[in-house]
Amino acid sequence: MEVDREDGRTPNQLRPLACSRNILHRPHGSASWSQGDTKVLAAVYGPKAGTKKNENAEKACFEVIWKPKTGQIGKVEKEYEMILKRTIQSICVLTVNPNTTTSVIIQVVHDDGSLLPCAINAACAALVDAGIPMKHLAVAICCCLADNGYVVLDPNKLEEKKMTALAYLVFPNTTLSVLPEGSSVAEGEPVEHGIITSVTHGVMSVDDYFLCVENGRAATASLSAFFRKNFQQSQRDSSKAG
Amino acid sequence: MSTEVSTSPTSLIGQTVVPGDVVLDLSNMTNQTIKLGSGLRQDNDAISAMRAGKFRFSKPNKYWVESSHKRYIPRPEDTVLGIVVDSKSDNFWVDIKGPQLALLPVLAFEGGTRRNIPKFEVGTLLYVRVVKTNTGMNPEVSCTDASGKAAGFGPLKDGFMFETSTGLSRMLLSSPTCPVLEALGKKLSFETAFGLNGRVWVHAASPRVVIIVANALMNSETLSGTQQRIMVEKLLEKISE
Repeated sequence: MEVDREDGRTPNQLRPLACSRNILHRPHGSASWSQGDTKVLAAVYGPKAGTKKNENAEKACFEVIWKPKTGQIGKVEKEYEMILKRTIQSICVLTVNPNTTTSVIIQVVHDDGSLLPCAINAACAALVDAGIPMKHLAVAICCCLADNGYVVLDPNKLEEKKMTALAYLVFPNTTLSVLPEGSSVAEGEPVEHGIITSVTHGVMSVDDYFLCVENGRAATASLSAFFRKNFQQSQRDSSKAG
Repeated sequence: MSTEVSTSPTSLIGQTVVPGDVVLDLSNMTNQTIKLGSGLRQDNDAISAMRAGKFRFSKPNKYWVESSHKRYIPRPEDTVLGIVVDSKSDNFWVDIKGPQLALLPVLAFEGGTRRNIPKFEVGTLLYVRVVKTNTGMNPEVSCTDASGKAAGFGPLKDGFMFETSTGLSRMLLSSPTCPVLEALGKKLSFETAFGLNGRVWVHAASPRVVIIVANALMNSETLSGTQQRIMVEKLLEKISE
């Protein structure tokens, strides 16, 4: 049953997480998020007045700018920008500040696999730091199907290269609720079981995909808890004054 | 890591919430009228948080999420510091750090008539009150209080303005007087204006005092009351040497 991973992790084990917020001086919100050696810096500016051309002026508009570690952006980065933008649009409340644009700038510091999920987590932390109204948080995870049929979570660059297929999954975070247990359900399932974004590469069977979703979802509970702990810590720091 | 977050706590008041947390259940408080402040939204019977911060409750019926940001969202009756960016025949355009520029009607001054329109150059710092914040419109500000008196509103001459977070300016405005201000005020004489949008203006007779006060205020953001007093004492000791 055991799968050998290069770094000795178990298949469902994530790399160590680290997140710090409000690290940049000029942006209205910023965060750095790292999973192992993968590190991404996110900055949020706005909301600024006006929307871009071809955008709905009755809603808040988002733009995502992806800055790779070196060189210029290509097709892959454009795709990442698009995925990130759609993800952000679905987790933010768009009607509070209509006719405004919020810029999210993603700077890749180091890429060691699971880059897009790392960027989504960073962007989410930066949006919260900037105080952009959000419906809920998003937690992203990369699931990877190894050639021997096992699902491994949060792969590094080497594992990503060797895999047969991989899926980037984004789930809503686990929320605290004063509602009675089991009342926050949508179509018979708890809200945190919904999928916000799903991107797959390579070939995988339907069963394998569902296995990925199940394993990924199980891991997001700890990611959600990490998010919450991080916010509580920074709150404690700032509320000492009050 | 704990995974017990999905359990139902009875009350989240005073706790840190993140976006998506359901903080109030309206179905079991039907006979009350409640007021929701910033950072909360209603979805049928559930009130959930939109921002991360401390969930607060004030008797009898006010609920809000307290957080500190670099960006300001205008609310009616807030007092803010704005900077004139343009003047038109009917309005001044004022930057109050919000998503949109605010409008200051040229008649929104004490005894304002068409004949005595004030002249503000671009860059003038004004202490104003937010009047209207309708969605889809620019917010409107005024240089009078609700009864039409000047009440201290208007241009701030000389002095020094710096930008902080909204949390710090709220702390400085809180009553009883913030420890850092109390401690500074015992030894130095200066004049200040705090805007809820995170702008602070300091004015004193000598530039030396302005710099001391400004630095003390900026340093006090993450300190507790006692720490603030100690910091000010040390600062004053250093300059008296």
